Amino acid sequence: MNILRLLQTVDRRFLYALLLLAVTVPFFLDIRLPVPISPQTQALYNAIENLPPNSFVLLGSDWSAGTRGENRPQTEAVMRHLMKRKLRFAILAFEAQSATLAQDIATRLQSEYGVKEGVNWVNWGYKVDVVNFLKALVQNVPQTASADVHGTPTAQLPVMQGIHTAKDIALLIDITPSSTYQAYIQFVQGPYQIPMGLAPTAVMAPEAFNYLDSRQLIGMIAGLQGAIEYEQLLGVVGKATRASVSSSFAHLLIIFFILLGNAAMILERRQRARLARLEGQP
Amino acid sequence: MTGFSPWLAANMPRLLVWVGALCTLGLYSILYRENRVYRLFEHIFLGLATGYLIAVTWTDVLLPKWWVPMWDKGQWPFIFTLVLGLLYYFIYSKKHSWIARLLIGFFLGVASGQSFQGFVNDTWPQIPTSFKPVIPHAEVRDAAGKALARAVSWPDAVNNLLFMLILLCVMSYFFFSFEQKNVVLRRSAQWGRWLLMFSFGAIFGSTIMARLALLIDRTDFLINDFGTYIGGPLVMFVILLALIALVLYLATRPGAQEPEGGEESP
Repeated sequence: MNILRLLQTVDRRFLYALLLLAVTVPFFLDIRLPVPISPQTQALYNAIENLPPNSFVLLGSDWSAGTRGENRPQTEAVMRHLMKRKLRFAILAFEAQSATLAQDIATRLQSEYGVKEGVNWVNWGYKVDVVNFLKALVQNVPQTASADVHGTPTAQLPVMQGIHTAKDIALLIDITPSSTYQAYIQFVQGPYQIPMGLAPTAVMAPEAFNYLDSRQLIGMIAGLQGAIEYEQLLGVVGKATRASVSSSFAHLLIIFFILLGNAAMILERRQRARLARLEGQP
Repeated sequence: MTGFSPWLAANMPRLLVWVGALCTLGLYSILYRENRVYRLFEHIFLGLATGYLIAVTWTDVLLPKWWVPMWDKGQWPFIFTLVLGLLYYFIYSKKHSWIARLLIGFFLGVASGQSFQGFVNDTWPQIPTSFKPVIPHAEVRDAAGKALARAVSWPDAVNNLLFMLILLCVMSYFFFSFEQKNVVLRRSAQWGRWLLMFSFGAIFGSTIMARLALLIDRTDFLINDFGTYIGGPLVMFVILLALIALVLYLATRPGAQEPEGGEESP
């Protein structure tokens, strides 16, 4: 078979095999690639860094196991920063699995940073009906989020002291693979002018740049790459940093495939055109 | 763990990782071809997610917010929410479907009212920020020294100009109410279409990034988490290589052809 044709019709399973190798081999290599920090990641980092001590942050966690690859490193990075700065935060989930997934991460990290559930952070658990819950929450936080995931009344928790309405929330961050962040913008950030950050999956990120431009969002951690950048800023080597070389290798491979396939297509077209010209000659 | 045998309780973390690894490999078997193992694990995953959603909705929402107040605390009017909810099922009766439509109409009204507020808070702030300064200037302050406008550098001005041009071109593409006979409008609409293609390309590129992140997470789990239970990450890596070799052998053996449309042959 013509090599140019072969390059365009190669069995997809060979490509999958090469991709799997590109992803797995870096786990055994001690390579660290430079990671430039994007302005939106830096902006969210600065926003948390500049919060007054003991500020209260509302952390929307709206992801499930299906997007764990991106949203878990993001959640870990943000929680590390909040715990490192000893800021108070509440986890709020509009996705059934997310309350448990975020709880696991916070419970694992809290001993590392010397913080405690109920004192420094609280999990309000899974809630349904995003819009109506948020509309009630902004007016009366303790009554709307009346108990944590363990059933403890939130009014009894030290972390909730002084938190009555949306005006007591210093920063709002939503970690999501869906459009829940728009509900936060529409019913919390917009009406109460609360600074808001976002950690979407990479596929959601391009749409969110509009909100960054209009300053409805103050910063963004876009997908796994954003989490890698955030870990760099925090100076920790977490899941995201360990995945960074695999991510770079995989992207380089895909770009190489695209270039190779297109080059083969263009060259084959020229070859055909040349042959057609030759056949047309007497 | 009540009711579980002590062995099961002691080995639960190990079992969870084993089940996770088997599910991951079973689901990734789709990369070879559509097969029954993949379908089995796909159905298990969907069933688990749905079952979990139902269970959590009951334990975290309906039980504390509806059942306990109504049953244990004597707040009996909560029963009416159930009655109202059940009215939806009149949609299946030709004679009484109007009852269900009353409820649907009510909730449509509520949702429409909320979407007005949502739309204003969502889109309105984007309109003034679309007007950007295209002439470079220093920071503008009033007599009291309060900053009125930020400084605009040359690169900022070029960036803003590009933004304005792209905005106008893309908006002109969406003028469908009349025929675009004007040459300027037609050209800008053409540019608008190209610029939209660029943004779709960016979204598609981001989608690939997202899918790769999921693949990396699963391979990290197989190599580093599951690997520790079977003799180390290197052992798991060798197993993966063997699986790759097997798949490639099956794919290239004489007579092996990928089924059309990825469907399993009967």
